[in-house]
Amino acid sequence: MESTERLVQTWMATGRDEEINEVISDISNDRLSLISVVKALGEYLTSEDSTLLQKGVEFLALVVGKIPEEKWNRQSVRVLTTFFCGKLDDTVTIKPALSGLSTLATLSSITPSEVTTIVEALIQHVKMKSIVQDVRFKVFSVIDSFMAFHRDVLKSMGKKFLDGYISLAEGEKDPRNLIVAFAIARVILIEFDIHERVESMFNILFCYFPITFRPPPNDRYGISTDDLRKALRNCLNATPAFGPLAIPVFLEKISAGSRATKKDALQTLGTCLPVYGSALARVSARKLWNALKLEIFQPVDQETEEEALKATQILVKTIYADEEAAVEFNEDIQGLARNVCEECLQILKEPEKSQAKPATKILGAFMLTTPSVAKYTISQTIPHLVQLFHNPDEASTRTPTLFLLSELIIAARHSATKSSSSGIDPPLSPFKDDVLGVLTTGLKLSGSRLAALSGLTAMVSTPHLFSDEELGFIVHHVNEILEDDEEGFFDESDTTILGLLTTISEIAPRHVSEQVLPSLFSLLTDSPPTREDVAGRQKHWRVLSTLSKLCIQAELFENLVIRLTTKLDIICFPSPQRLVIVSADPEPSAAYVHVILKTLAQALEIKSKKRHPDIPKYLDHLVPHLFNIFVALAFRSDKQPVGASEERLIQVAGQIINLVVQSTPLQRQQSYSISLSKALLNGDVTDIAQGFQKIDKASRLSIFTGSSPSAQRNLVALLSSAVIALRPEVRLPIEDIIGFLDMLLEWALGQADNDLQRLSVFHILSSILNRRADELSSFISSKLNRYWWDEIASQDVPLSRRRLAIISWIWITKALLVRKHAQAIAFAERLYGAFGDETIGWEAAKAVGAIPSADSILTKANHAEVKVLYVQRYVGAVLPRIIALSKDSSDSTRQMASIVALTSLIKSIPRAAYGHEMPVLIPLLLRGLEFPDQEIRGNIIDTFLAAAEGESPDHSLVSEHSVTLVNSMLKNCTVTETSLTRVRISALRYLAVLPKIIRYDILHPYKASVLRELAGVLDDPKRSVRKEAVDARTNWFKYKGS
Amino acid sequence: MPGEVFNPNPVIFSTSKGSGRQSDLLAQSLWIDDILRSEDDAEDWEPIDQDEIFDLIRSIYDPEHPNTLEELRVVSAPQITVGANHVKVEFTPTVPHCGMSTLIGLCIRVRLLRSLPDRFKVDIFVKPGSHQSENAVNKQLNDKERVAAALENPVLLDTVEQCLSNARGNMI
Repeated sequence: MESTERLVQTWMATGRDEEINEVISDISNDRLSLISVVKALGEYLTSEDSTLLQKGVEFLALVVGKIPEEKWNRQSVRVLTTFFCGKLDDTVTIKPALSGLSTLATLSSITPSEVTTIVEALIQHVKMKSIVQDVRFKVFSVIDSFMAFHRDVLKSMGKKFLDGYISLAEGEKDPRNLIVAFAIARVILIEFDIHERVESMFNILFCYFPITFRPPPNDRYGISTDDLRKALRNCLNATPAFGPLAIPVFLEKISAGSRATKKDALQTLGTCLPVYGSALARVSARKLWNALKLEIFQPVDQETEEEALKATQILVKTIYADEEAAVEFNEDIQGLARNVCEECLQILKEPEKSQAKPATKILGAFMLTTPSVAKYTISQTIPHLVQLFHNPDEASTRTPTLFLLSELIIAARHSATKSSSSGIDPPLSPFKDDVLGVLTTGLKLSGSRLAALSGLTAMVSTPHLFSDEELGFIVHHVNEILEDDEEGFFDESDTTILGLLTTISEIAPRHVSEQVLPSLFSLLTDSPPTREDVAGRQKHWRVLSTLSKLCIQAELFENLVIRLTTKLDIICFPSPQRLVIVSADPEPSAAYVHVILKTLAQALEIKSKKRHPDIPKYLDHLVPHLFNIFVALAFRSDKQPVGASEERLIQVAGQIINLVVQSTPLQRQQSYSISLSKALLNGDVTDIAQGFQKIDKASRLSIFTGSSPSAQRNLVALLSSAVIALRPEVRLPIEDIIGFLDMLLEWALGQADNDLQRLSVFHILSSILNRRADELSSFISSKLNRYWWDEIASQDVPLSRRRLAIISWIWITKALLVRKHAQAIAFAERLYGAFGDETIGWEAAKAVGAIPSADSILTKANHAEVKVLYVQRYVGAVLPRIIALSKDSSDSTRQMASIVALTSLIKSIPRAAYGHEMPVLIPLLLRGLEFPDQEIRGNIIDTFLAAAEGESPDHSLVSEHSVTLVNSMLKNCTVTETSLTRVRISALRYLAVLPKIIRYDILHPYKASVLRELAGVLDDPKRSVRKEAVDARTNWFKYKGS
Repeated sequence: MPGEVFNPNPVIFSTSKGSGRQSDLLAQSLWIDDILRSEDDAEDWEPIDQDEIFDLIRSIYDPEHPNTLEELRVVSAPQITVGANHVKVEFTPTVPHCGMSTLIGLCIRVRLLRSLPDRFKVDIFVKPGSHQSENAVNKQLNDKERVAAALENPVLLDTVEQCLSNARGNMI
């Protein structure tokens, strides 16, 4: 007892938490009762001195706040309730008393009678206007707790509670309190009997609408405008009783408000209307429509227009939803929907005018409301437009009419897909023949073709609308325009036409493959267009690019493969008569083969992105055929003019092979790998190359043997593109794998004739190493040590060989890095050692950047071992070292190389990986801008551009360097200083960005000189540069102080 | 926007996608993906042509409507002629009594003033017969002093800037 008193006294003097905690632990351990605490506080609680009294109540409230729930009993709750309520009328004690009450309110042992006492006391004594925010918050939280646990008690208090609460909540302004108040209000509105107090509730809620609160900067409470908006909205749409009062408010806010207000009002209206009910909606339909109409026909911005359309939809839905069943029988619709439709149709009499578009949008929106309204709208508008189209007096407006019609069809499709589950006919069905007639007519007119096509696409993709025959009919018409249009070859509409045909090919591929493909294939000649025949070549390209996008569906793709491989055979192995012509100028033939291969590759790429299941089967059709052609070409390279020596052809063929092998399942890959290794080791291609060309079974491809012809060696690229796509479980059956890899390296450095061969070999090496690093540790360590010193670091080795060795180094490191192998960083670190070497320093530096850059070899799609965040790991280890080396000015060669490494590294990694180092990097990058090498300057400017994305004038990292940057960019954008177009464009882009990221007061001294200098760049020889110069100059013209 | 609206419901035309240049077509290579490689060829000079000037002015907003001059067919590529150091732009007001014509012309002039090298002399005319006070408008637009004076007026300049606010970005 005495100790309690001592604790109380100590606390009075110090106000520390320790004493409170001690009291609490005494109570928890039953060494002390609450009564004794009160007794110990006795003199304070009855003190005349207001300071002492306040402290006494505060101590008690703090203790109450911490007592564990199970120590409470009814008795103590009741006593304390009465005590705290008694202290509410005193401004000195109201704060601790409320915090005591807010604890009590959450207790389970509180009884209804105390609840009533507390609420009455709150209503009677608390003057909200005279207390501060956090105290008011306590009031709201007490009521909130009662709402949660003792709602019935509050309900039974009836009007007394309502009036009391209204007086408490009235005039509240703090967002933190409002969030609680809105939550309470919603419960009251939904569950309490408020019919006599509707107006008062309306007043204390609608005075906040629309919310204009903006959280201050660095807001600690995290209440956003949106939170408040949503909370308030939930009150406004809580009861239909608000309806008649609310509609005028909404109308006023929509018509008179700012953009934000308008948007909020429209959205809130949308959530409220369904609650307020159809009767009210019907009564106020006219007024609402007049307000909404304005926002649609004269929108302030697109967002408002969309919101207004949505609100209109909800209005229509609300009005017609409950009479839906009745309307099913008679087609006629009365009221708003009818009036609006008529109004819009009136506007649609002039389809070419600007108002026609919003009118169509409204009609389109109607189709997404209720089925009967949709039906009615369609039955009114579609015949009107069809008739307009056929009217000879209106011939000039056919294009806009079609345009509007197709917009409506698209809307109708949405409405059909929405209700398709019920299996009823799409609402468009009764008119489909008329519409189809109009669209096919429109298809023939070049001006309206685009609109007709988009209308057709929408109709075709409407489920259950067309029969198979009708689809055939459409394909027939489309095919006609394809055939007629020899000259322009469906100019701009090609993507739309493709869209339509692709949509049809997904539903009914037969029509496309029977009608369209033959005519397209017939446009492809067996011999290439001559060098001078630009138009012919253009046509071939267009046909092929169309085919590559059209033939994606399994049946069509098969057709494509058969046709094109046949064509390849004919072009690659011309008849003796043709041979003479081709030999004279083989390049057109090679280019033709190239574009055909490219077509196959593009189609396959799309298919592989969509994971089509029919790709693997082409390992038995397309792939052997390609090998067959290329092997035959290589064997007869002396006689065949179109050769396997053309690297571009091999690259595309490799791409095709790669795509097919990628998607081949494990088992098939197993068996295929055996055939592949035969070709790699012995040059035996009989298993992988099968086709029309005869290849002598006994002849062997010589790739790695001493003096093999280049044409045969090039084929290593094809083999490589298959090997790199093998799954890790599939192992090439090669016994001495280390010996094989060493042989590959030696061959690439010493014997290969071109980069294609070398890179292919590096790719094979890299993907084998990536998959089998665990068993190749002796290979790895020999490379890391002996290979580095012998091939790269050694000055005795010829320069060209050292350069190649650095490239091989990149690929070895890549293979290890992507699987996060422990040695990967050690490999990268070797490169720093070469920075000081004048001959290969820059190569080594660029390699540092090349290692983490993305490539198409070691990817998940190729089944490589790729671990997440390997780039981050690399950057974490390498970037700090490079920065340190760049700062070290003891050896200028090494420092230069380090800056080169830095730029190439930054270029190939995501911004997030180096963003935090930017302040350190900027001065280093600025030094790099002085380099004569344009590529490096271009990379640095691109880095600055990427860094500018997250910047704003208020905190810009570059603002202190603005002089240097402006001058350097001006230098880099003039054609006399910088010959690379790419660099000039980047420099201009950065100049255009600068005004957005640097404060006006810092940059404005340069405005005049920038504008003057840019005037000269406006006369750049390149169009693309001039365009950027115009944009940059415009930005500087607009650059003004606020 | 002050005063009356001269044409409340103008005809909207669909715009064509980017303008295919004849010169591009002729310079085709035999190989399909060669176009990218030849782009950085510093040798050849691409002269400023009518399509390029059209690209500069097509996306200027009409002062009265949220539509571009191209959509309203106020300007079009064939109405532009380019000489060695001379550009002539002709534009068509949507209605003959359009009081905004001078403003539209001024917007075009400001845009070209800022975007063409200063070796060019720019003449701007309304299409003959398309406006009731054709001569007055033409005179006003091609008088250096008057254009300079107009641009001293901050309200007017602000309106011009607004019309030009979109004059970038959506070019092809």
